[in-house]
Amino acid sequence: MAYMIGVDVGGTFTDFSVFEHESGELFHYKDSSTPADPSKAIIQGVLAVLAMKKAKADSVSYLAHGTTVGTNALIEKKGAKLGLITTKGFKDLMEIGNQRRPSLYNLQAQKPFPLVPSGLNCTVTERIRYDGTVDTPLDEEETRQVVRYLKEQQVVAIAVCTLFSFVNPVHELRIEEIIREEFPEAYVTISSKLVPEFREYSRMSTTVLNSYLGPVMKKYVNNFRNSVEGIGIQVEPYVTQSNGSIISIKETVDCPIKTAVSGPSAGVIAAAYIGKQCQADKIITFDMGGTSADISLIENYTPQVSNERTVEGYPARIPMINIITIGAGGGSIAKIDDGGALKVGPKSAGATPGPACYMRGGENPCVTDANIVLGKLNQKKILGGRMDVDLELAKKAIQTKICDKSDLNLQQAANGIITVVNSNMVRAIRSVSVEKGYDVREFSLMAFGGAGPLHACEVAKELGMKEVLIPPHPGTLCSLGLLLADTKFDLSRTMVLDGVAENVPEIASQFESMTAQGNGLLDKEGVPQERRRFEYFLDMRYQRQNFEICIPVPAGEMTAAVLEQVLESFHAEHKRSYGYCKKDAVVQIVNYRVSAIGIIDKPDLKPEALRPETNLPDPIAYRQVLFQGQEYYVKTPVYRREDFVPGQSIPGPCICEQMDTTLVVPAGWVIHVDGYHNLKIHDEEK
Amino acid sequence: MGKKIDTVTVEVLRNLLMSISEETFGIIVRSAYSTNMKERRDVCTAVIDPDGNSVAQVESLAVLLGSMLGVVPKIYEKFGRENIKPGDMFIANDPYHGGGNHLPDIVIAAPAFAGEKLIGWIANIAHHSDIGGKVPGSTSGDADSLFQEGIRIPVIRIRSAGVLEQSVMDLLLDNTRVPQEREGDLTAQISANLIGVERLQEAYARYGDTLIDCMTELVDYSERRVRAVVAELPDGVYSYTDYVDGCGDKYPDPLPIHVSVTVEGNNLTFDFTGTADQIKAPINVPYPCTQAAVFFAVKALMGDDIPANEGINRAVTLIAPKGCIVNPTEPSPVGAQIDCEQRIPDAIFGALAPIFPDTIVTAGNGACTTTILAGDGAIGTDSVFIFHEVIAGGGGASKHQDGLSGVQVNMTNTSNMPIEATEMEFTKILARKYELKTDTGGAGEMRGGLGIERELEILQDNVLYTGLGDRHKFHPWGLEGGLPGGTGAFYRISAEDGSVTQMGHKTTSLPLKKGDVIRVITPGAGGYGDPHKRPAEKVLRDVIEGKVSVEAAKDQYGVVIGRRGVSYFVDESATGARGQK
Repeated sequence: MAYMIGVDVGGTFTDFSVFEHESGELFHYKDSSTPADPSKAIIQGVLAVLAMKKAKADSVSYLAHGTTVGTNALIEKKGAKLGLITTKGFKDLMEIGNQRRPSLYNLQAQKPFPLVPSGLNCTVTERIRYDGTVDTPLDEEETRQVVRYLKEQQVVAIAVCTLFSFVNPVHELRIEEIIREEFPEAYVTISSKLVPEFREYSRMSTTVLNSYLGPVMKKYVNNFRNSVEGIGIQVEPYVTQSNGSIISIKETVDCPIKTAVSGPSAGVIAAAYIGKQCQADKIITFDMGGTSADISLIENYTPQVSNERTVEGYPARIPMINIITIGAGGGSIAKIDDGGALKVGPKSAGATPGPACYMRGGENPCVTDANIVLGKLNQKKILGGRMDVDLELAKKAIQTKICDKSDLNLQQAANGIITVVNSNMVRAIRSVSVEKGYDVREFSLMAFGGAGPLHACEVAKELGMKEVLIPPHPGTLCSLGLLLADTKFDLSRTMVLDGVAENVPEIASQFESMTAQGNGLLDKEGVPQERRRFEYFLDMRYQRQNFEICIPVPAGEMTAAVLEQVLESFHAEHKRSYGYCKKDAVVQIVNYRVSAIGIIDKPDLKPEALRPETNLPDPIAYRQVLFQGQEYYVKTPVYRREDFVPGQSIPGPCICEQMDTTLVVPAGWVIHVDGYHNLKIHDEEK
Repeated sequence: MGKKIDTVTVEVLRNLLMSISEETFGIIVRSAYSTNMKERRDVCTAVIDPDGNSVAQVESLAVLLGSMLGVVPKIYEKFGRENIKPGDMFIANDPYHGGGNHLPDIVIAAPAFAGEKLIGWIANIAHHSDIGGKVPGSTSGDADSLFQEGIRIPVIRIRSAGVLEQSVMDLLLDNTRVPQEREGDLTAQISANLIGVERLQEAYARYGDTLIDCMTELVDYSERRVRAVVAELPDGVYSYTDYVDGCGDKYPDPLPIHVSVTVEGNNLTFDFTGTADQIKAPINVPYPCTQAAVFFAVKALMGDDIPANEGINRAVTLIAPKGCIVNPTEPSPVGAQIDCEQRIPDAIFGALAPIFPDTIVTAGNGACTTTILAGDGAIGTDSVFIFHEVIAGGGGASKHQDGLSGVQVNMTNTSNMPIEATEMEFTKILARKYELKTDTGGAGEMRGGLGIERELEILQDNVLYTGLGDRHKFHPWGLEGGLPGGTGAFYRISAEDGSVTQMGHKTTSLPLKKGDVIRVITPGAGGYGDPHKRPAEKVLRDVIEGKVSVEAAKDQYGVVIGRRGVSYFVDESATGARGQK
């Protein structure tokens, strides 16, 4: 018996997905989180799972988890005390940033909190030019003094980022040596090693974030490995990265920033996998929870990756699954503002006091309250019966905070709240699809999270999408994703070259040396040769532009013909993104990217036979539901998800309840249950 | 006119219209050629209703609002609404005839049709680095007429019935020093409009005339929001006079910007009578820009979440006598108008400080400190380079917090160009310094934000330098006992003898030699409240961060800072009782 275990640590619950190879059984387990030391809940849960299966710890063949340690350190501002070393004359780059004030009109808006404490942003005399030549040599004695000063100030980490180190890292490397000599116990991040790309503020900020998180992560990793070893698990645990892959936990010590905002990425990986089961190669994922919703686009079963995003107000140049998060969830608060407009979110009532219906003293009407008033959610108990709710409190909140301040009646107000929150979702979905040149109507909407399936059909309808997909366990997609990920190292370099045949040898040699670097990393991970795969990309732009488009490059030898093909893809992608292309213009290659991938064994799930002739299940109840755009409540059957059988088709309108979510299906839509127990819901209205 | 739309639908369509503006903005920024657009994001985009009211604008920077507001009415006036056809697109830059703030700001507007029916407009405006004129970069500090500031484009068609007017494009490209860059930028602007038009058509297909009624409602909504706030303000007349540094020897300071704000019920009037007369120097503020400046101040004070559209303008009355510096007559030069326009929100904030005690901020850097370097050197197929950068300064302090350091204020909010991006593109420029400037933040219980010191070394001969700024003489003011912030200054450090020469705040086309260094210091911001009330440990932190010098800590804050080795500490005994200066 060998068990693969994926663990997703949430704020309230820690979810476990477990796969047993021989029987092919996949099951899920849930336990309360232990926020003070998240590893506690993980160990407890693993022990509980093993006990349930009467298995020994050494039967765990794989253990991966998504950690929130980095994310929490950032949110709670509990990172390491760190010093920064940069080029003389540029000590304030972190504070100046891009010199834009955070809000055009809000005169009180603040910059993000400073990661480098007062006076610990140090400079050394040195300067490299754009072409890598040394303009001013490094003053080594001064560097030594600076390092001693930082040691005296009791920093535990140092970030090193000097100008143009991505072209020529010689000064940064020498600074690193001096730190090793003077202050060997410091945690050090070198910008040219972490992210050798141009734009000093982004690179510096990424480097600083990494050093800020490093010592915290190191401590956690040591604790966690000890605990895992302590209960007798023999395998090296893995951790998710923001790019949707996993790396062994020891590797995260050097690049904690790569795990910092990995939270929702595993869910997207699982969505791509389920997309394969459903043969849906174009998917928008829609993960809606209590306070926010995460949205992303998957094409050809591959999530889209972006190479920069903002982390707690700072740019981080780290490949991440491109997920848009908006402040719209079940707990989002609705209000009528001074001008009489109905607004929903981004403020959330959280878990306490939570929506008014939770009976915890909340008086503000939330999206959940509206869903209860409309009959979409169970009006007595939610979460599979584990939590009581009060319909009257929901009505009262909407009445006093919305109806009394507008000309809306209770029904209109409740419906209005849903329409407005759905329009926020629509805007976010448009921004990952329509605005990137994709026709959203060709996509399926895969809904998960506690609230996704409640809103999915109506959001899909608004966008003209014809199919909604609901996985068997919409609440545990993240832990499932942890069983489906591969190991992946994303390498990048900047060197600007014209995209012409003469430069093919140089491009090839860049890729070659990066491949060697990737092989080195996979060696350290112990990935056997036959399980290695490499993906190549070039960031390209027209000469004079400054933003690049990332274009995949076919594996294999780099030739003039291959380059020609890549240029064609660039023109096409430019046309799709910006509405035009210029085939006769000079194209520049700016960044070289290589993903070194180690393929990991995955659960092999088999579909059940379809039994379309099975009688439809009996509804467990009927409820009066008011659907979007309707004026009257309609008597609607409520089903239990477990009662559905593969091959069945169930027509809307109906409600389908399960432990982790509630699905709302309007009239005209039909549920089809597939062999994996996924629900494919189609708009079959003429 | 339009029928009443329910509040829910309005919110849904507001989301939709904003996403159209944001999408077109993204297209320009990501595909344009010139640093102004691609790195500095000196771009604004909007959806405009069929009557010409702007409905949904991106919140990029406020200075470009003015031109977005006026363009469609100008097109109607000139061509007649009935003569606008599907596939048309219009271009303009003349600030006196439907264009932007100054000639480099080119606005392009495209009507959107559903069949024969005009359903709205998509417009964008962007700052082009050069459109001809007497100096590279077009903006000089000494033009005495609009004719010296570049090619004037009245409202004309750049596309007719879906076909590019190549002759117009040729004319424009022939009138710029950097045609390759210009063509790339204009293409980005035109393409963004085409996509925006498509999106508006899709929205109309989905919502029909409700979409248009909703545009009307959105404008009404913004007006209601402003008036609701005004109604709560105490009636009265609130006045303030701030000053612009002047413009060279011919137009010495002070040039007063005077505003009287009258609050009466839910009406708000801004009267600029008493402001300096227009001058024959390029800091006159065209009327649409004055409108934009008032718009900015109103939205910032009355509610930053009020949708940015024509409704805000409707809620206020603006009086600016013809012929004064904030409503000049044609062809007064306007190239560097932004330095003067920045003073308008300062004056309004000064006037309204008593009735917005919690949200008001002190005067910030109040300039748009610009460095233009031009010289021979090929980039792509262009034979000269024009480097254009705006450097931020101090942000105002408020009752509750220190001002932000190194930020753009008021009408502008452009990004800096990363040093590494600058030097990879402009290989003859080398940044030597880019740091906050000690003691430029006005002392106060809440300290004003700091200005920036930036040094650029020039690595070849025959480079022309133009430096434009303001608040080199009149300090950014503080409030409630807070001291004024530091002023800006431009210096040239000679390669030959190392001598340091201060230059005027409107230096134009100064020839530089290889090895010369330009040092730019931008103004800080005023402090808020008595500096002696600032807690000593905050002053200590300022000293450690290099924001306040040990001397200023003692002289202005009354805090004596001692030093032990490399560490600073508050010398409690020497500091003694503070408060009596």
